[in-house]
Amino acid sequence: MIKVDHLIKEFKLNRRQRREMGEAFKKARAITAVNDISFECTPGKIFGLLGPNGAGKTTTLRMIATMLKPTAGNVIVAGYEVNKEPQKVRENIGFMTGQTALYDRLTPNEMVKYIADLHGMDSAVMKRRRDQIFTLLDMHDFAKRRIGRLSSGMKQKTSIARNIIHDPDIMVFDEPTSGLDVMTSRAIIDLIHSCKEQGKTVIFSTHRMGEVKLICDDIAIIHKGKLFFNGALEKFEAQMIHSSFEDEFIHMVEEA
Amino acid sequence: MRRTWIIFKKEIKDSLRDRRTILMMVVMPLLLVPAIIGGIFWIQTSIMEKAEAELSRITFIGRTQAPELYAMFEEDDRFTLIADVPLDSITVMIEQEELHGAVIVALDFPHVIGKDQQGKIEIVYKESDALETAEMRMAEVIEKYDSVLVYERITRLNLDEELFDAIAIEKKDIASVKEKLGKIAGGWLPYLFIIFGFMGAMYPGLDLGAGEKERGTLETILSSPASRLEIVLGKFLVVMLAGVITALIAMFGLYFAVQRFPEIPPEILEVILDMLGLKMVFLILTLIFPICAFFSAVILSLSIYAKSFKEAQSIVTPLSIAIIFPAVIGTLPGIELNLVTALVPILNVSLATKDMLAGTINPVYLMEVYISLALLAGLSLWVCVKMFDREETLFRS
Repeated sequence: MIKVDHLIKEFKLNRRQRREMGEAFKKARAITAVNDISFECTPGKIFGLLGPNGAGKTTTLRMIATMLKPTAGNVIVAGYEVNKEPQKVRENIGFMTGQTALYDRLTPNEMVKYIADLHGMDSAVMKRRRDQIFTLLDMHDFAKRRIGRLSSGMKQKTSIARNIIHDPDIMVFDEPTSGLDVMTSRAIIDLIHSCKEQGKTVIFSTHRMGEVKLICDDIAIIHKGKLFFNGALEKFEAQMIHSSFEDEFIHMVEEA
Repeated sequence: MRRTWIIFKKEIKDSLRDRRTILMMVVMPLLLVPAIIGGIFWIQTSIMEKAEAELSRITFIGRTQAPELYAMFEEDDRFTLIADVPLDSITVMIEQEELHGAVIVALDFPHVIGKDQQGKIEIVYKESDALETAEMRMAEVIEKYDSVLVYERITRLNLDEELFDAIAIEKKDIASVKEKLGKIAGGWLPYLFIIFGFMGAMYPGLDLGAGEKERGTLETILSSPASRLEIVLGKFLVVMLAGVITALIAMFGLYFAVQRFPEIPPEILEVILDMLGLKMVFLILTLIFPICAFFSAVILSLSIYAKSFKEAQSIVTPLSIAIIFPAVIGTLPGIELNLVTALVPILNVSLATKDMLAGTINPVYLMEVYISLALLAGLSLWVCVKMFDREETLFRS
């Protein structure tokens, strides 16, 4: 379960940034990346966080994962407040981005063990789970090869394995399919589905409308840090003015 | 701190698989130090040998005025006497290196010598001549002739030799060979480990900070249960260890190199080997650790501040030149370890090592060095932890 409550995030601007951002920000001390948003992600459902580039999706997800501290508001992840018990929050999440974010000089075996060790997993439990995941993703053949020498598909599998080795209750996906080919994207989508089947809480951000329709149960649409819609996908579809999901999204963003 | 240990182990493994780190940490000091030492000895020895083997081509003007002196030059096999050189061509010929020097005996030389007065002999040479061999050789022969003339006068006049030697200076140097060499070696030994300590820490430092950002793996580690402090400490320890190991390997390279050069006199070699003995290495290590801790924290802070590996490199590389200055100041004569210099980072390490090697270290100053280094290392690590805790730094774009 993730509960986002009136979340606000401001970033301080230095002189150079103010200059670069033009006349409108000349006297601004800070920029509001996330502006008072609230939503809830429930277990066994896939929550889609939608918005164009720069909408505040990554900032929101980074606050959920405790990488950034909220300026105001609160987030409760798996029963723990991000401000009070960030470590407990991190123990319960898997955080995956479009980048594989792996260490090239380690092997998949070592990479997965490293993350498992950081999560304090028992060695025997870790080995058993690692074997299961490696079998599921067909990774045994390259488990002892350096990650830097693997193909992008193999790397993506390794990235999935390291994210689920500790069997987190909450999965956070930040534009996980961005820049990936169709085959690899499908592997990620399959992973998201399987997380749902296992009853995990899943939140994922994207700007690909096709993906939203394909997998989301609930959605939130944000633009320029503000929340424009929050609710079930069916509810959104029911109130659509345009025939296509994409047109409706563009219309909403342009109206904002 | 269990997670710090996990991060430390992983970063060590990762760094040791990085060719650039190995190159900087092991290959460079192991090859570079013997190459530098060998190169210096080889160049020095070969220049000296060449200069000594070369005959000095000189001309002697005034053979008739001083036939005995001419005979002494003729008998000396270090000279080739060139005859019939016109007086006005001497300067040009020396300038063009056709001649190394000239001896010109004044016309009235026999006359003034005969009257027991001072005769004049001019020697012409070019000072830029390598090691000034010709000048030294000519002066040596003339001084010998001078002694002959003086002795002849003393004997003839029945005078006491001591009349001309009113004071006999008896030099009694109480500095041991170790002390003297310590003062000399103390100049370059800390220089060596300070530079290599920094270089060794540089690549892992860049890779573990900016490299992590560039690869996108920073989010991987930040979303793990490890706290920022645990992450920084794990990384910091690896960077510091790399610096310390590189400095030690550089010292091992030196130990290995000095034994390979027969040009070093055995008594000096013995002192050098004693300096690099276990006790001294341990003492030097007590300085290497805090200075490497300071370097590591600074490098890691800048590295985590940078947006990319390249940017980090362009910030950190000029620092390697900046750290040379205090190390060089430490080699200058007259700069001693005192209550003030003991507080100047890098310089204090350089001066303390010098005194340690010479065996003349003042325990009060040494303690001051340790305390100031420990405070500095602690402060820089605190800054590093703060940097790692700043969102503006971590997600700077």
